[in-house]
Amino acid sequence: MSTAGPDFPQLVPTARSMSPGDFANKVFRSQSGIESRVQYGNKASNKTMDLEYSNITETDAAAIHDHYLACNGTLYYFGLPQKPKSGNETFSVNDGSESTSNRFSSTPFGMRYRYAEPPQFNSVKSGRMSVTVKLIGVLDS
Amino acid sequence: MTYYSGKDGTLTYNGSQVAKVSNWSISSTVDALETTVLTESDRSYVPGLRTISGSATVFYYDSAPVSLLERVVKATVVSESDILVIKLGWGIKYIQGNCIITSAELSCAVGEVMQASIQFQFTGAPTGVAL
Repeated sequence: MSTAGPDFPQLVPTARSMSPGDFANKVFRSQSGIESRVQYGNKASNKTMDLEYSNITETDAAAIHDHYLACNGTLYYFGLPQKPKSGNETFSVNDGSESTSNRFSSTPFGMRYRYAEPPQFNSVKSGRMSVTVKLIGVLDS
Repeated sequence: MTYYSGKDGTLTYNGSQVAKVSNWSISSTVDALETTVLTESDRSYVPGLRTISGSATVFYYDSAPVSLLERVVKATVVSESDILVIKLGWGIKYIQGNCIITSAELSCAVGEVMQASIQFQFTGAPTGVAL
């Protein structure tokens, strides 16, 4: 089991994109073209979540930067609190639970988020920065 | 109460007044940096970078526009030494700042007085404003 880092900062993003991942499976295709698919697990994996923060204050950008360091970069997993997931309340309900209707959460399938890659920090002007964060859901035993 | 008109207008560069100025204009804009987030229903912004630019037209009377034109139209390269202090005045009011001449245009046509048009861009904040 890998180490848990602190929760992601409570910041509402400017834009968010999510891919729910897929269930592990293998496709066997015969010479006739007939396909057989074998599912290897009951949990989707490789869920991705991209968060964009445009023109945020340096303080908020620093919070993301420090969180990345606190998670030892892409090593530790962490929880995603309410605010990064907010804005589509009917799509993702029961936010505090591990319900599968909590669609932006990483918890329904026992997953946790970790950084897929180092976040990108772009300086816009004095006092303002834009940050792009790419997260990936990982199954944790 | 005072109205201002073209007769009150002046254009000076590095402290010297340019003669035979037909018109000048100046425009100041500020970028609006969007800070709208997913939970909001109205767009929100913070002020970004400011841009001040202007233009002027000078009749080609003797060598009135030459000092401005030769900052761009010359055999040598344009350098930082070509940054001018331009002051646009009307009455006792003025806007002044360091400027780069970004465009210099000469036009000569039958039936018209030859004139030069310049466009300039402020670099940095205005060094003096009295509106």
